[in-house]
Amino acid sequence: MKAQELLKYFNEDLFILDVKAKNKDELLAELVDRFVEKSYIKKSDIVLEMLTQREKLGSTGIGKGIAIPHGRTTSASEVMIAFARSKDGIDYEAIDSKPVHLVFMIIAPPQDENNMYLPILGKIVEILNKSKNRKTLLSIESFVEFIDFLAEA
Amino acid sequence: MIKKELELLVALQDLDMMISDISEVKRLGFEAEGEDNLLKAREELISKISKSLLYSYEKLKKHYKRAIVPVKEDNTCLGCFIKLPTSLSTKGRADSEVIYCEGCGRILYWL
Repeated sequence: MKAQELLKYFNEDLFILDVKAKNKDELLAELVDRFVEKSYIKKSDIVLEMLTQREKLGSTGIGKGIAIPHGRTTSASEVMIAFARSKDGIDYEAIDSKPVHLVFMIIAPPQDENNMYLPILGKIVEILNKSKNRKTLLSIESFVEFIDFLAEA
Repeated sequence: MIKKELELLVALQDLDMMISDISEVKRLGFEAEGEDNLLKAREELISKISKSLLYSYEKLKKHYKRAIVPVKEDNTCLGCFIKLPTSLSTKGRADSEVIYCEGCGRILYWL
C-alpha cells in the first residue's frame, strides 16, 4: 500500500493538534467523542468498549511516543482514522513506559471494501517507524501540512 | 430491552472480530498477549444474551464471516447492499425487535 492511498481515510474533522487528555482513558473517550460529535458514529459506548477490550489484549502504545488504538466495530460503516497530538504527552501505559505524543485512532467496519483495515494499520506503523517522520508529525501546524506530509511519506 | 440485547450482541461480534484478527495484529508488531482476557469478556457477554438470539448469531457466523451488519442512513444493508424497505427500517430504528435482512438474512444494526 502506498502512503498516498491513506489520504482518503483522513478528514479535518478528526484532526486534533492539541488534545486535552492526560491519560489513556481520557484520550480514548476524547477521540471517540469527536467521532460522535462529527456524526461519524452514532454512539460512543460500543466503540469505547471495543477499544478498551483491545487495550486488555496489550497496549497499543507501541513506544517512541506513538499510540495506535484500533479495531473493527459493527458501529462503523467505513474505515475512519483520527489523528491527535499531545505536546505535553499522555500517560498511555505504552510498552516503553514513555509518554505518548502522536496518536492515530483507526476505526473500521465489520467488512470494508477490499479489506483495507489491516494494510492501513501496517502502513501507518511503517511510516511511524521512521524517526524523521515522527519529527515531522510533531512539528506540523495544520491539516494541509499533515496531508502534504502523508502524500510524500 | 431488545436494544440493549442487540448492543450486547454487537459488542460480542466486535470481540469476535478482535480475536480473529489477533495473529495479523501481532505480525504488525503490536502487543497481543491478553487473549484470555478477551475470552473471559466473551463469556461474560454471552451470559447476558438470550439463548435464541445467541443461536441465531452463531448460526449466521458459520455461514457468513459477520453475523451482524450495519445499516447506513440510506437504509442499505452493508452485508448484501440491498436497499431495505421503509417499513423494515422504521421497525429497525425503533429498536423494538431484532430485524433480519430480507436479502442476506443477517442481523441488522442501524447506525
